Amino acid sequence: MIILFLTSGLLLGWSLGANDAANVFGSAVGSKMLSFRKAAIIASIFVIIGAVVQGSGASDTLGRLGAVNAIGGSFTVALAAAIVVYMMTKFSLPVSTTQSIVGAIIGWNLFTGNPTDAGTLTPILSTWVSGPVLGAAFAVILYILLKGLKRKSAIHLVRFESYIRTGLIIVGAFGAYSVGANNIANVMGVFIPAFDLHPLHLKLFTLSSQQQLFLIGSLSIAAGIITYSHRVMQQVGNNIMELSSESALVVVLSQALVLFTFSSSALSSLIQKAGLPPIPMVPVSSTQVVIGSIIGIGLYRGARNINFRVIGEIAAGWVLTPVIAGILTFFSLFFVKNIFGIDVGRKSIDSSPVDLPLAEADTRISEIMQYLILGLITVGLIAILFYYLLERKKNSELKKSEEKFWKNMK
Amino acid sequence: MAIFTRTTKNLILKIDEFFDNIDLGLLVFREGIKAYLAGDTEAFGRHIQKVELLENNADRLQRSIENEMITHSILPQHRGEVSSLIDVLDEIIDTIKASLTEFSIESPEIPSSLHHHFISMMEASVSAGEELIPAARAFFKSPYTVREKLLKVYYFESETDKVIKNTIRIIFHDMKELDLAHKAHLRYVIHHIGNISDNAQKAADMLSIMAIKIVM
Repeated sequence: MIILFLTSGLLLGWSLGANDAANVFGSAVGSKMLSFRKAAIIASIFVIIGAVVQGSGASDTLGRLGAVNAIGGSFTVALAAAIVVYMMTKFSLPVSTTQSIVGAIIGWNLFTGNPTDAGTLTPILSTWVSGPVLGAAFAVILYILLKGLKRKSAIHLVRFESYIRTGLIIVGAFGAYSVGANNIANVMGVFIPAFDLHPLHLKLFTLSSQQQLFLIGSLSIAAGIITYSHRVMQQVGNNIMELSSESALVVVLSQALVLFTFSSSALSSLIQKAGLPPIPMVPVSSTQVVIGSIIGIGLYRGARNINFRVIGEIAAGWVLTPVIAGILTFFSLFFVKNIFGIDVGRKSIDSSPVDLPLAEADTRISEIMQYLILGLITVGLIAILFYYLLERKKNSELKKSEEKFWKNMK
Repeated sequence: MAIFTRTTKNLILKIDEFFDNIDLGLLVFREGIKAYLAGDTEAFGRHIQKVELLENNADRLQRSIENEMITHSILPQHRGEVSSLIDVLDEIIDTIKASLTEFSIESPEIPSSLHHHFISMMEASVSAGEELIPAARAFFKSPYTVREKLLKVYYFESETDKVIKNTIRIIFHDMKELDLAHKAHLRYVIHHIGNISDNAQKAADMLSIMAIKIVM
């Protein structure tokens, strides 16, 4: 039963993959510098690595915003957030999973009578503004640098584009890693208090309970990227502004830098050591950062290049997402609690993450989770191998047909 | 990844080789016309053979460049424009070949009084083409300088037009000894020489837009 509850988180992960994670390579795919298939595979692999290796920082912040203290509540919160993101994605609106989950958690707080911690909410809300602004600033600086470098080096256009393509792959992988690290909290954050799994010992490393959850969540994000992110990639890439190849690289890099900034504890402590205030570990919306970056370049190149109608639609989505998610969660919790009789949470006496009567089933759940993880990893590896062989076959057929063509030409 | 393969390097070499072919074609055309006017049939024949070789090579390179750009997804955003540019440049060498072949098959009788006009016309037309090549190369390396390089192309194209108009006027107004068929034939040959600079201008217009787009 407890694993069944997790499905809503997986659905949210899928929505995040289809929507937010699509932004990483959206500009690259939209500008035709990378094929969707290649982009989807790179994004999937690095989202998983980012989530497992560095996912914990932003999760703690969401936990403080609202410690959902019953698995039924976690299920409903994640489901409502997922439905909102899915609906927005359906209309090709690149909404933010972060906003959706934050709205849903506030909805849960309102339903259960728990207070929403203003000290936690404020940095989250502030990143909804500072994220895109920072993205725009990074983008303008990087764009100027790249343009200057191109001009000074007098590099051949073909070579330059080839470097850009390679750069897009590397930076895109970094961006996907950052999305995984920063946004996994949205997907699995509400489930962390409900699961206490045995560590999973793999040959090379050991996965903690939280990391196992993050791995499952990131696999669902990967599934979302592969199955449904193509449309959003096109939207991000082309609708706001026609992107050149160097703009695409700049957008991906600035987005990756912003997300990394808000999810790296090491960077935060380094800044603290320098006597500056720490960077809040907050799940930032990759959608907003990407759009901020694109607008930054657009403004630098002249506002005429920007399609303001599309930006208006996206902004409307940003305002509506948390509100709709909050309302939907509130009413969903009402139904789940009163019609199905499932415990969705209660008012906490103190605001610390809470007493969960869940640890008894740990051994069985741990076993199921371990088999699930190993199965999914095997399927993933087989899929990558299959793709590699398919590409190799395609290339060899192309080479043969080329050779035949030039032989006949002679 | 593209930088780890030889594809990029090969493509750059092919593009450069293609430009070299056009450049050499223009040079050979200049020498070919001079040889024809001087009545040196052996040298003229050699030049025709050379141009045929260059034209074939340019065609092969054109196909290969377009092919590689598509199969390896190189320059996805500029691919169409680069292909069109190469197509127009190829038209220049096609025109050169066609023009020299015309001289070879039809052997137009050019009165000695018109030799000077023919040479001026050919020089201006060839110069328009020759000035185009550095601009086309610059598009790939320093697009900021393309437009200033193109000024000379436009200048030589307009010079060619002036010389053509002047020569045709002389043929039809002052050279009463020539019959109409001869005059029409000379005009036909002259127009073909002028086509080189017309194609150069067409390519220059295209390059000018391409350069603005890439610099923006």
